[in-house]
Amino acid sequence: MRRDPAGNVGRAKEMDETVAEFFRRTILKIPITEMMAVLKAWDFLSENHLQTVNFRQRKESLVQDLVLLCEEKRASLNDAALLDIIYTQFHRHQKVWDVFQMSRRPGEDIDLFDMEQFKSSFKKILQRALKNVTVSFRDTEENAVWIRIAWGTQYRKPNQYKPVYVVYYSQTPYAFVASSLLKSNLPLLGQALTVASKHHQIVKMDLRSRYLDSLKAIVFKQYNQTFETHNSTTPLQERSLGLDINIVDSRIIHENRVEKERIQRVTQEIFGDYPQPRLEFAQYKLETKFKSDLNGGILAEREEPLRCLVKFSSPHLLEALKSLAPAGIADAPLSPLLTCIPNKGMNYFKIRDK
Amino acid sequence: MPGQLHRQAPGNLDMELANAQSQDGESKGGVLAHLERLEIQLSKSHKKLEEPQREQAVESALGTKIHKLRLLRDKLSAEVKQRQARVKVSAANVEPDQTLEISEQEILERKQENVKAILQAYRFTGISGKLTSRGVCVCISTAFEGNLLDSYFVDLVIQKPLRIHHHSIPVFIPLEEIAAKYLQTNIQHFLFILCEYLNAYSGRKYQADRLQSDFAACLAGPLQRNSLCNLLSFTYKVEPKDQSFPFCARLLYKDLTTALPTDVTVTYRGTDASATTWEEQRAAHEHMFFTKPLHQVFTSFARKGEKLDMSLVS
Repeated sequence: MRRDPAGNVGRAKEMDETVAEFFRRTILKIPITEMMAVLKAWDFLSENHLQTVNFRQRKESLVQDLVLLCEEKRASLNDAALLDIIYTQFHRHQKVWDVFQMSRRPGEDIDLFDMEQFKSSFKKILQRALKNVTVSFRDTEENAVWIRIAWGTQYRKPNQYKPVYVVYYSQTPYAFVASSLLKSNLPLLGQALTVASKHHQIVKMDLRSRYLDSLKAIVFKQYNQTFETHNSTTPLQERSLGLDINIVDSRIIHENRVEKERIQRVTQEIFGDYPQPRLEFAQYKLETKFKSDLNGGILAEREEPLRCLVKFSSPHLLEALKSLAPAGIADAPLSPLLTCIPNKGMNYFKIRDK
Repeated sequence: MPGQLHRQAPGNLDMELANAQSQDGESKGGVLAHLERLEIQLSKSHKKLEEPQREQAVESALGTKIHKLRLLRDKLSAEVKQRQARVKVSAANVEPDQTLEISEQEILERKQENVKAILQAYRFTGISGKLTSRGVCVCISTAFEGNLLDSYFVDLVIQKPLRIHHHSIPVFIPLEEIAAKYLQTNIQHFLFILCEYLNAYSGRKYQADRLQSDFAACLAGPLQRNSLCNLLSFTYKVEPKDQSFPFCARLLYKDLTTALPTDVTVTYRGTDASATTWEEQRAAHEHMFFTKPLHQVFTSFARKGEKLDMSLVS
């Protein structure tokens, strides 16, 4: 979505103030260390253009120079939106991503996905419903597309500083959405996605994380990619977990070696040998009646279910859960409520009495 | 005593002969006696003759025995020498026996490696597998026109019901659908269908990748594709030295089990007045895209030069 480098000396129209400001704030966000990489990925300013800029000056001055350069080259709002997408791609962990699952009617035709048709259909649906909306696309590898949507209203121009991002891999039923603060726009977004991708229904999954790649690994079932073949040289039994009781220090006697080995084996069966997908939390909403062994406890007589929320947080939740039993903190096997997370593709649970 | 007359009983001829003999000396009635004597002499002389012969026979028999015994003696002494020699050798040099054992181990190891290599080579058949502790890990190795492409795995747990533990099948291949239809009832068919889908996908992907990498100069802009590589759209030219890209092609692969398109649309978007040649070319291109793998169509463009051989259109 780039304009042709027209090379007009006398500019008929200066860049819109808001667009210039948008450029300034977007470029200011980029860390100096990444500046070159981001600008190269953007590919709007050529090598020659970039060479005219002094990258060693103070950041504010550098940003000013770059904005002037963009103005000279007649960069549009769409160019700025594209730069914003690239910045977000570099810093995808700064957003929290939800996962949506789409479905088709059974027995529908083969999906002949045409990316250009998808994009134009998606944009049209949004623009028909909301006059003021900015939609930008950037294709990425693996036949996927990043979509940036800046929402406005009937009377207000789109707010470029609170955009929604959608990542969609063609011919899959999943869409990853960086949380929208405007819940009211969600149904429209869902509709645009389903119609443009020729699906029938869309549902929000109970799965959320900052780590987009981990979410993708979970729903695409790509997290366990070790397979036994006749080519593999290491027998699986020989691989060990982090806490290796085979590290021999003759001064240490393991009294419960058998139990330790059982724990290692059970943990390995459940969690496998592969690196776990990265999640930051698991949340369990309990609406169950209190169950107690002690008779006559205060809570035992209640008919009302207890409502409580249990939340597990960690920089890397699944690795933490994996290390619980070997560290002696929990029994092995762990509760299936904890171990089913990647398999079921959920980290939000509602538990009710059956 | 000659002439002594002995009174004898009458009729005794022998006696008379004997008498006669004794009278006549040895000539008369001593004839029989004489014959007797001669007989005795003869047998004696025979015996005398025989004795040396007998002795010779005995002698030669003994000689043969001696000869035999000598031979036996020689044989036995030779054997004794051999055994002595062997004992000496084995005492001095233990290795010959050990190398015999080691080479047996080597032979077994080589056999084991040979079998392992055969198991690894099974990949080339397209479907291979390895038993696991919970079931079997099936490997589907895809190929297109003799080129070995990606391998995909399905790890099955053999339980009732049969289930998939984990896999490396891409998410856009309808694995759940195929499993729902066939996994429980006919696992061979399940694997066969999966194989078809994956090989076709691999083949389409290979063609698209080859077009993008080998014939980028013939394309205006990137090749439009999707995850399944079942919709390809591109603008192209035939002559590398052409300035413009006069043709647009859109290939649809509605059958996911094939690597050739089911729908082909080629449009000519040039402004050349001589419409007929372009129309012929356009039609010929369409036919080629239907029947040949994508990158091979472009290879034949490169070979044909300016004029497209009309014999292709048939």
